[in-house]
Amino acid sequence: MSAWGGGAGRQRGPRDRLFLAAVFVLLFWAVVYPNLVVLAGSLRGDAGLTTRHYAAFFGTASELRALWSSVWISALTVMFSALIGVPLALLFARYEFPGRRLLGALAAMPVLLPPLVGVIAILFLYGESGIATRLVQDFLGLESPPWRLHGAGAILAVHAYSMYVYFYLFTLAGLARLDPAVFEAAASLGAGRIRTFGRVTLPLLTPTLAGASLLTFMTSMASFSAPYVLGGGFRVMTTQIFNSKLQGEMGMAMVETVMLAAVSLMVLWPLSRWEGSREYVSPGKGAAPQRLPVKSRWAAVGVPAAAGFGVFLLILPHLTLLLVSLVPDGSWTVQTLPPRYSLENYAQLFSELRTFRPIVNSLLMASAATFIAVAFALAVGQLVVRWRVPGRRLLEAMLAVPWALPGTVLAVALATTFSVSQPWAGRFVLVGTAWILVMAYALRVLPLTGRAVLAGYRQLDPSFEEAAASLGAGRWRTLRRVTIPALLPAIAAGASLAFVTGLGEFVASIVLYTHRTRPISIEILAQLRDFDLGAAAAYGVLLMVLVAGAFTLAQRWIQGERAKAS
Amino acid sequence: MGAFLELDRLTRVFAGSPAVRELSLAVGEHEIVTLLGPSGCGKTTTLRMVAGFEIPDSGRVVLDGRDVTRVPPQKRGFGMVFQHYALFPHMSVRANVAFGLETVGLSRVEIERRAARALELVRLPGTGDRSIGSLSGGQQQRVALARALAPEPQVLLLDEPLSNLDATLREQTRRELRALVKEIGITTIYVTHDQEEAFDLSDRIAVMREGRLEQSGPAEDLYHRPATEFVATFLGRAGAVEGLVGEVHDDGLISCRLAEGVIWKAQAARGSELAEAGMKLRLLARPEALAFARPGSDGALRGTVRETRFAGSVYLYTVTVGHGELEVQAVAEQARPGDLVGVVPSSAPAGLFAFPAGAERQTG
Repeated sequence: MSAWGGGAGRQRGPRDRLFLAAVFVLLFWAVVYPNLVVLAGSLRGDAGLTTRHYAAFFGTASELRALWSSVWISALTVMFSALIGVPLALLFARYEFPGRRLLGALAAMPVLLPPLVGVIAILFLYGESGIATRLVQDFLGLESPPWRLHGAGAILAVHAYSMYVYFYLFTLAGLARLDPAVFEAAASLGAGRIRTFGRVTLPLLTPTLAGASLLTFMTSMASFSAPYVLGGGFRVMTTQIFNSKLQGEMGMAMVETVMLAAVSLMVLWPLSRWEGSREYVSPGKGAAPQRLPVKSRWAAVGVPAAAGFGVFLLILPHLTLLLVSLVPDGSWTVQTLPPRYSLENYAQLFSELRTFRPIVNSLLMASAATFIAVAFALAVGQLVVRWRVPGRRLLEAMLAVPWALPGTVLAVALATTFSVSQPWAGRFVLVGTAWILVMAYALRVLPLTGRAVLAGYRQLDPSFEEAAASLGAGRWRTLRRVTIPALLPAIAAGASLAFVTGLGEFVASIVLYTHRTRPISIEILAQLRDFDLGAAAAYGVLLMVLVAGAFTLAQRWIQGERAKAS
Repeated sequence: MGAFLELDRLTRVFAGSPAVRELSLAVGEHEIVTLLGPSGCGKTTTLRMVAGFEIPDSGRVVLDGRDVTRVPPQKRGFGMVFQHYALFPHMSVRANVAFGLETVGLSRVEIERRAARALELVRLPGTGDRSIGSLSGGQQQRVALARALAPEPQVLLLDEPLSNLDATLREQTRRELRALVKEIGITTIYVTHDQEEAFDLSDRIAVMREGRLEQSGPAEDLYHRPATEFVATFLGRAGAVEGLVGEVHDDGLISCRLAEGVIWKAQAARGSELAEAGMKLRLLARPEALAFARPGSDGALRGTVRETRFAGSVYLYTVTVGHGELEVQAVAEQARPGDLVGVVPSSAPAGLFAFPAGAERQTG
């Protein structure tokens, strides 16, 4: 029996203790410490401790309104996302009709759009001079655009569009995990479709739906791109923080940061408990639930047609982005559809250093962040799942902390902490370097990557490692030859998420970038400001393709590994 | 006993290959019939057609003279116990058992009363408030049974309900299950791949193989008068040796010539075409129907002991003979591997079955 119990049952030596200490300290320094610095900063005045900034915050109606807006926008985002995502998932999971597989895959397409790219795609489509807007205007012969993509409604629409995917994918996965026999059991006990749904399907999906609600709510609280681009006079907490920082009101920025984090945590806590409190895992054969064929004649035509039309609407932004990227600069003015198409925007992207630089930056910084996130996830997985070290709950919790911290909060915390040189306090000047962006990206994805890798660790049968040890393999050989190869699918999943998030990151970047380190998203915004829509769209399409490529590669790899395993 | 539940030429095709072909079976009222066969033989698919979860591509399911083939499961009123129980994990034990009662339109008090009674029936009184996760495997199995029985279905369907219990519990539970089902007197179809379970539980066994019904009847019938080689080897042990038809007797017996001067009398397989002397045959022999004799003694088949096994109350010997391998059962240790022995039938023609050699089929 080892001193720390469990695990591979070995005695932990001094080197192991050093490793544990290093992981612990590094995580604390990167994840928790900057937030403490911000918390302290929010309470510091010119002469010691003060609540002045908080008084200013609570005394300003617009601040409180922005906080409240963040909350209700997020709550409504959850509702609308669920209303789109859950029925779609049920339709594709439970019914069989022609084109189901293709349409089902296309319904997840919004994941390919990084937040800012999604916003501009929708802007090109439904904005004041967007294609759909012009088409409707022409069709109805109106003097002015039929609608304005502006304010809370616009933010909600973009949120629902980009976040229903969480509900869609979670519900699909949740349904796949359920033992199909429970539905049959309900039927054999006389329950019809509606009763089975209300009494069995929905209650069994509640942990799944809680998980999706949580993710959607947190993402929406953290959302910056949509309110920044489309909000106009409508303010939420993330844009408030950004503006305060821009105007140099650091005290206020820090209070806003603390408030946003606090409110996010207040929601995260009960929802995550609810999610974790009941997990129904089925011991069934793992047979796919039977899909019901669509029977009646009108439904046989109507269901695929309606599903097809719905999915068409969902991928219209992608198509628009592609279309706009093919429009030469300055050639499209008052026409409904562009008059000329060419590849010159793409050619420009790759021919000039000025425009190519952001692509290189994003690729390098996202890769570095992915590497760091995966390394931390693996280290924590080994410590928490295998060695079962004391303090493992705390370690795991630290991985998840950035969950509760919107990107803007994180960026402000990093910018504050790493703008002074106080090596004795663990503070170095990183602002202005690419490293602070890499750090921000890595921290932002740590919860997701950590989750994927830890889940992989938990599913990994420890007897593989014990077998390797019994065959004389040392610790590192076991790790290299057995553990990591067996974890590859989980690593691929975690890494692709990390890479893709880093590639399109905008929220933290806009706080931390410099001209030299600017990533693609910042360049998109710059091109947009110059009214070079074609170039902005070309960057957007490039991101979309890279994201799709990363996901496809990871998926292939995961499936390949699974096929090898079975 | 007239047919209460009738499966009439049921056929179900999956992705081009038939899972069940032309299966007909009549189940009498209050009867327990077991569908027995190796995995993949179509027994579960058959049960699911009876339950209404699968619609047969052809054939009918007839209940008490009424065609219910296309009646959806929720209107069919058949109780079912699933292999992994499919208990609703988010509901209490009581809510699970009451689920099927709620659709019938009973008063709340009546539902409570019947749910409690169903739990008493499976000897789990007072567990109503417990969560499913807090129950042991055996208890879960009994809750699943209580849930299926609570609405008082006309037919009870059980899909390998004991396969997730450990060996001792399984044996005890199947006796209780039979007693309970007999007490209620419900018509039951039971699916299993376990021969002992089928013997213990059933009034009648239907042996399936590759989607077809091989033979159905009481356990003793199948064991002592198997219609096919598959049934002979799937139910109980049997060694096989090749030979020729010596003489065909009127009483369904055949003299089998197995070697020079070795002629054993065996039962001809039901409906077999072993009609003429000189035809090739395969003789299957139960281990308990054979005994050792001095090699070279009258009517003894010569062979070499290949393996001996101690099986508790008896010893089992595998003996290689000229054209096959036989198993011999004995109460005491009588030979060792490598010994030259003679094998004779101990109570011919019991336990000896002759099948045409051409009809030889592999065992599942």
